[in-house]
Amino acid sequence: MASLAPPTTDRPLLEIRDVSVALRTGNRTMVAGVSLAVRPREVFGIVGESGSGKTLLTRTLLGLQDDAYVAGGSVRFNGQDLPVNGYANKARKLLGHSIGFVPQDPFSSLNPSMRIGKQITEAIYLAKGWPMGAERTREAAIGLMAEVGIPEPALAFNQFPDQFSGGMRQRMVFAIALAQDPKLLVADEPTTALDAITQRRVIELILDRSRKHDLAVILISHNLELLRQSVGRIAVLYGGQLLNIVPSGDIGQSTIHPYTEALFDCIPTREKTLADIRSIPGEPVGAGFGLKGCAFASRCPYVVTACRTTDLPQNAGTASIFSACILGRGVH
Amino acid sequence: MVELKGVAKSFARRLFVQNRSFALRDINIAVGRGEVVGILGESGSGKSTVANIITCLTSYDGGSYRFKGRDIASYTRKERFAFKSDVQIVFQDPYGSLNPRATVRGSVMESLILHRPDLGRRERIERANALLEEVGLSADAGDRYPHEFSGGQRQRVAIARAIAVEPELLVLDEPLSSLDVSIQAQILELFVRMIRERDLTIVFISHDVNVVRLLCDRVYVMNQGAVVEEGFARDVLNHPQNEYTARLLDAVY
Repeated sequence: MASLAPPTTDRPLLEIRDVSVALRTGNRTMVAGVSLAVRPREVFGIVGESGSGKTLLTRTLLGLQDDAYVAGGSVRFNGQDLPVNGYANKARKLLGHSIGFVPQDPFSSLNPSMRIGKQITEAIYLAKGWPMGAERTREAAIGLMAEVGIPEPALAFNQFPDQFSGGMRQRMVFAIALAQDPKLLVADEPTTALDAITQRRVIELILDRSRKHDLAVILISHNLELLRQSVGRIAVLYGGQLLNIVPSGDIGQSTIHPYTEALFDCIPTREKTLADIRSIPGEPVGAGFGLKGCAFASRCPYVVTACRTTDLPQNAGTASIFSACILGRGVH
Repeated sequence: MVELKGVAKSFARRLFVQNRSFALRDINIAVGRGEVVGILGESGSGKSTVANIITCLTSYDGGSYRFKGRDIASYTRKERFAFKSDVQIVFQDPYGSLNPRATVRGSVMESLILHRPDLGRRERIERANALLEEVGLSADAGDRYPHEFSGGQRQRVAIARAIAVEPELLVLDEPLSSLDVSIQAQILELFVRMIRERDLTIVFISHDVNVVRLLCDRVYVMNQGAVVEEGFARDVLNHPQNEYTARLLDAVY
């Protein structure tokens, strides 16, 4: 069920070092000091509660967030450095070619007044240029629709998005993202708006595509259990800080960062009884905590004074496993 | 306590057209006193319509609904009024269910003013404060307005308001769905404590199999407006007999 591709020794496909994201108005730093590397063909997860900065970080890294910018650090994709100056324009050139993006809401990410086929062929044109010819592009689009599991793709080609369910629409967005045969697929909460049965089908479709086409995937979700069962490594964001990069097999098994541990204890799963559920006291802090002290200190059961005053440890070497715990919990 | 027999509800597809679409068909649900009963289903299964029928927020057009042994249809005006304090509901969206122009103490006290005219103003305030404390809000919370609270705290206010009139039946319609994971666990713990400490019958509407498994004694699984399986939660959710239930359980992470 889970595709736990072991971290290989390949050169990273995406490497971000000490990246911070700030808002254009007020220059407030929302996400600070994030370093991580995603390898080719790896399925990587990012988990966080609302306000953790997970969506802001990824959208800014993709050049999609108009009101925020990469304020510092370095980003390398596929051996190419992306300078911080004019970052968004550079990143957007990759989007639609080497990087595919599946946004959260399949009800607002498709054009309601354009036929499905047109939206998919448009993506193919943009990726591969015009000389393909209308008929071959149409065939390619229908092939792509069949691949993502749309029944009767030739019929669906001429239909409009509102004639389909959420799961089918998310498949079409997925088809558009795959039109350019990207190296990396970024999916931001791709199944949150979907029912359980559809959710699993869409996630399995993504994992299957990753295995068959050497596609690296970054799967962003608030659902730690979904990620634990689906991806190899999980980055944990809280208050705009990167607190943990943990192999999914370690969750619930080994000592990991206290926040990841507490988050897992909150979630009812198949195996747990009521006694296993332990809530975290207090409310989540919003992004923008900075790097002075640990954002989780106010809710952490292990907290000591140093947690509030010490600078947060950094993943400077973009190690594949990382814990930012000042007390060293989960540090390898 | 609650007995739905053959309840159906349909909506007209278009005005003046006889061809109607069925939201619910032949629903049989029985909830005994003191039970915690889950109604599990995906979106569009009709589970929220069932919640609205049980709380008399919507009508039904077939079958019968008996509450405490008497048919709702035969209620007098006075009984209808009493019903409203016997049955309370907590909605999914704590942003939409509180009056933004009333302090949260005002919201909690409002039902007391209606249903407990025997209480004086001072007693009502005291009771509202005690309720807010019981659901885990600080003493000064009562003077504040809903927008000053987070989603989890607002849901606590909604719960305090629902239990203020000491209802016998509490309907919880997806009360955790709009909350963050760590807050969901807090509210879940609050429900567990309430079930232990108060004499409550609970109907818990949810799409989350794992939460229903933890909280409920019995469960009804709904799909496309019909109950497809019912039984003790530990039986149904561990050894499903129905094909749809099995598919749903397989899909859940």
